[in-house]
Order: sequence, then structure tokens, then C-alpha cells
Amino acid sequence: MTEPVAQMKNVKKQIGNKTIIHGISLDVYPGEVFGFLGPNGAGKTTMIRMIVGLMKVTEGDIYIQGHHVNKDFQKAIAQVGAIIENPEMYDFLSGYENLRHYARLSVKPISKDRIKEIVELVGLSGRIHEKVKGYSLGMRQRLGIAQALLHSPSLLILDEPTNGLDPAGIREIREYIRRIAHEENLAVFVSSHLLAEMQLMCDRIGIIQHGRLLQVEKMETLLKEKKRTVQVNVHPKKQAMEYLESLSWSINNINGILHVEIEQKEDIARLASDIVKSGYQLYQLNEKHESLENTFLELTKEEL
Amino acid sequence: MYLFKMLQNEHLKIYRRIGTWIMIGLMILTLLVFALVSKFILNEEDSASWERQAQAEITQIEERLNSGAPLKVEQDYLEQELAVLEYRLAEDVPPLQSDSLWGFMADTTNLIGIASLFTIVIAASIVANEFSSGTIKLLLIRPVSRGKVLLSKYVTVISFGFVMLTLMIGLSFILGALFFGNSGGASAFLTYSNGQVVEQPMISYILSLFGYKSVEIIMISTLAFMISTVFRSSALAIGFSLFLMFTGPQFVQLLSSYDWVKYILFANTNLMQYINGVPMVEGMTISFSIIVLILYFILFTIVSWAVFKWRDVAV
Ligand SMILES: Nc1ncnc2c1ncn2[C@@H]1O[C@H](COP(=O)(O)OP(=O)(O)OP(=O)(O)O)[C@@H](O)[C@H]1O
Ligand SMILES: [Mg+2]
Repeated sequence: MTEPVAQMKNVKKQIGNKTIIHGISLDVYPGEVFGFLGPNGAGKTTMIRMIVGLMKVTEGDIYIQGHHVNKDFQKAIAQVGAIIENPEMYDFLSGYENLRHYARLSVKPISKDRIKEIVELVGLSGRIHEKVKGYSLGMRQRLGIAQALLHSPSLLILDEPTNGLDPAGIREIREYIRRIAHEENLAVFVSSHLLAEMQLMCDRIGIIQHGRLLQVEKMETLLKEKKRTVQVNVHPKKQAMEYLESLSWSINNINGILHVEIEQKEDIARLASDIVKSGYQLYQLNEKHESLENTFLELTKEEL
Repeated sequence: MYLFKMLQNEHLKIYRRIGTWIMIGLMILTLLVFALVSKFILNEEDSASWERQAQAEITQIEERLNSGAPLKVEQDYLEQELAVLEYRLAEDVPPLQSDSLWGFMADTTNLIGIASLFTIVIAASIVANEFSSGTIKLLLIRPVSRGKVLLSKYVTVISFGFVMLTLMIGLSFILGALFFGNSGGASAFLTYSNGQVVEQPMISYILSLFGYKSVEIIMISTLAFMISTVFRSSALAIGFSLFLMFTGPQFVQLLSSYDWVKYILFANTNLMQYINGVPMVEGMTISFSIIVLILYFILFTIVSWAVFKWRDVAV
């Protein structure tokens, strides 16, 4: 097994006497896009702030390429490129000057060609010499990503990176993120509260809520595990339900609609013939995929 | 090397702001207006009659001394003045005239408050602005210690202060030469030291005026820098430092009969009090003031550093 790029060991964060992160342990590996998924206020940004050393951990340890973030900050952070929350830039400088500003603070020298390459990559070539003041949110986001990639980090941390991008932009960035992760063996840590987006971008997903990591799963596993149900509208409901249950179907009555669990396609035909044979009146029968969305909503159900 | 690049960045960030150039423009404008006013509006008393004036002052001082000066310090001061005036008459050294190059330059030291004000503005905003714009997050995730980030900012503030001061000296020299030429006025400045009157070359006197004032600029901007680092608000830092700068000396004056007042920062920032004048509080010496200033300086920088280094960044 490859060594993880980032290791979080039982990380806790307390602000005042409020515990925001309750002991999160997590490894992020090179070549993978890891999605940090959670509703608003779950603690994603707080966790990211600790990974990049903007906040000190209250308890636990974070290592990046083996360097402890708080004890060996400079070595650890040299491996990291990040955007945290909004892509704030010096708006009285041009996009290019902003990049030059950060390039000067890099350990390894960054050539003008490298800056040019990155600018092209994020699609800002046409406007890079304009003042950031006149940039749209999406353009700032792109500049933020450029800034994070400039020094070829081995860990890329993106806090809600598609915030403010148009669909084409989202797709572009998503594809780029997946490509560099897989081709250049970069570890990418992306946070989002948008599930659909994570589904398309990530190889692995961790669901966080109230500062706790509820589940970490490979994307494939999560997609495979979805439950299949068939919604049935039948009359009279009560008797039909009892009858079907006697035939060992497992049924949930939700708002007058019977949700019948099935395992495979053939079950649908079997269920239909069972109902028809029973003599009850069948009005409607349709299959419903439990999406990851529902899994997510279910996991993070009890809200605020 | 790394620090050099950081300084480059910090300088870029102040000199690319319009506000900075407005301040520099205002400074130039003020000096220009001041020169015009000195040249065309202020009516100088006839400089040929300085001997008569000196004579009149001597008579006044003698009267005051004979009536018994109330305070020992005042008596000392009057006696020094007397010695200088007598020396002036005996050796024929005319006093500084406002309508001369040196006189104009000496007068512009009264405008140093403008340089202080603008340096305070930079000191108060250089850290706070990064917080209010959110750029602090991207700045602090570079492979540089927070201490160095703060140092580069502090050095930039001080360098800005010196740019302002140099600009003032240079401009007052040019404007002075332009408007007043090398006409008339004193060639030497008279001071009283170790019981006798000494002649000091005018240029060194004027540079020392600026030099002493720069101590004040450094102290007040270090204070503003600290406030802005601790509270991350430039408005608060500007307001508070200006308030202290203007009321501090008054406050000290008001309470000068109490001995503890001499430990207050503003009793010590004006080192000129030891050159021509009486100390704010009886018994203060220049070395005492320097030690007090150094202690305040250490306090301000340590507080700024510790807060900046240890605080969680949650903007
Ligand atoms: N400086 C702070 N002081 C006190 N509480 C804080 C602080 N920063 C964050 N919190 C609290 O910590 C919790 C997590 O906040 P965080 O910003 O990490 O959430 P998030 O998962 O990034 O949410 P979002 O999706 O809205 O960005 C919130 O309840 C927030 O109120
Ligand atoms: Mg967040």
C-alpha cells in the first residue's frame, strides 16, 4: 500500500467550550480525489483550516508527507496548495501580479513559463493582466485554483471549489482535478455540501456531520449499496399490505404509498403478479432508485 | 533572500494602492502650500533688527530672573536662554529666519505630524487589511513562519516612514532653495551644553530635528501596528493611535506634577525636550527616556508577535 500524503489522527478542535471537531482520523492517498461531504456547519472548513495550519489542533496530530503540521509547519505546508472558503485575492493587483506575489513565497523557484502554463490551464489567459477588482466570482475561483497549483503541491485542498462556477466551468475544473490527481499522482482533498458534484468528482468520500466523520467509503461501494424499492398504489391499502407482508415482502407505508423493497428486476414482475392474483386493485407501480443523495440525507438526517 | 522577496511583496502591496499615492501627493501639496504661504503671506519682521529684538528679550529675561523665578527648572531655562542671547550679540550670529533656506527647513519640522499620520495609516492597515480582505489565509499557508510575515510587514512600515521623512527633508530643501535661496539667516545654531554656548552647523541641527522626530514616528507607528495586529481593525488602530498622539502629550503636561507620569510613553517620545527646552517632568534625563522608549518598543513588538503567531485565523 502506498503511503498516505495526509494523515489525520484523532483530530479534535475546541473553540471556547464548544467542540467543533470530535476526533477525526483520516488518510488521503496520492492519486485519489477525496471528497469531504457534509451539510453547512458540519466542520469542513474548520478541518481544512487545521490541515493548513491556520488553526491549531486542540488534540491529535496532522501530518503531510510525514511532516507534522504544527511542529514542522514550513516543510509540511510547502507540499500543500489550497483554497479556503472564498477565493480572496488582492483586488488592486492584476491576476498575474497576484500569482507573482505567491510565486515569490514558494520554496522552489517558479518560472514565468510555469505561471503562464497554469494560467492557460485555468482558462484565464485573456484576462490575467486585468485587475482582480473586475473579475467575476468564477474568475476569482479560477485564479484561486491557479494559485494553489502554482508550486506543484503534492496535496491539493479545495474548499467548495466549484462555488460560483458555471456548469461548463464546473465540468472543466472537475475534469482537470481528476486528471492531475490520476496522472500526476496528486492527492486532492475537496470539500462540498453538494452531493451530485462529489459523485462525479471523487474516488472516495467521507461524510461529516456535527464534527464527526460518519462514514468513509469508496465511491463505487456507495453507489452499489443503494437500496431499490418499488412504490405501489393499491386499493384497499391496509388489506393489500397485510396480504403482501404475508407473502414475505418487506413494506414501508409512507404517506399512503407502499414502498416495497426488492433485490433485482425479476422481483418487480413477481410483485405485480402477486398483487394481480390477490384481486386487489393496482393503480400504479414504479421502481425508485435510492440515490446517494438519499443515503447522504439519511446519514445526516436529524438536522440542526 | 526569502525575507527580501517578502519585503518586495509587502512594498508592492502598499505602493500599488491608490491611497498610498494620495497620501504622498497630499504631503507634497502641503509642503508646497506651506512654502508659498511662508514666502508671500507671512510678514517677516525686519531681519536687520534682530539685535534690537535680542536686546529686548534679554531685558525681559533679566526682569523675570530678578523677580525670582518660581521653579528651579524655569530659572535654569531662562539662564540658558540668556547665555545664548548674549553669545549671539557678542559673536554676531543672527537667529534663524523663516524666510531663509534653513529657516524654512526648520519650520517644516512642524509638519512632521503629517508624516507620522500617514505612517500610522500604513502601520494600522498593513496587517488589518489582510484580515479584512481575507487574503491572510492565502498568505499564511506559504512555507514561511508567521514571525517572518509579521517582520516583513513591520520593516515595510518603518521603511515607509523613512520614505515619508526623506521626502519631507528633500522637498523642504528643494522648495526652500527655490523660494528663499541662500539669502540671509543663520549659518550656525546656538545651543547651550555643559555650561557653555556652542555653535552647531545649521545642516546638522536641522537633520537632528528630523532625527529626533523620527523617534516619535517609529514609536507611534509601532503602537499602531500592535493595535492593528491585536484587533485586526485598521479604523480602530488609526483612531486610537491618533487620539493618543494628540492627547498623550497634553495629558502628560497636565499631570506633570506627579512623578509616575515620566513612565508614560508620551512623556518620552519627544526627545527634543532635552535639546532646547525643559523636560516634561522634573528629573527626567535623555538616557532615562531612551530606556523607557526601548522598553515600550520591546513590549509593543512582543505583543504583536505573540498574538500574530498564536492566534487561530478564522476569517
Ligand atoms: N471561530 C469560530 N468560533 C466559534 N465557532 C466556530 C468558529 N468557526 C466555526 N465555528 C463553528 O463550527 C462549525 C463548523 O463550521 P465550518 O465553517 O467548519 O462548517 P462547514 O462545514 O465549512 O460549513 P459550510 O458548508 O457552510 O462551509 C459551525 O457550527 C460554526 O458555527
Ligand atoms: Mg465551509
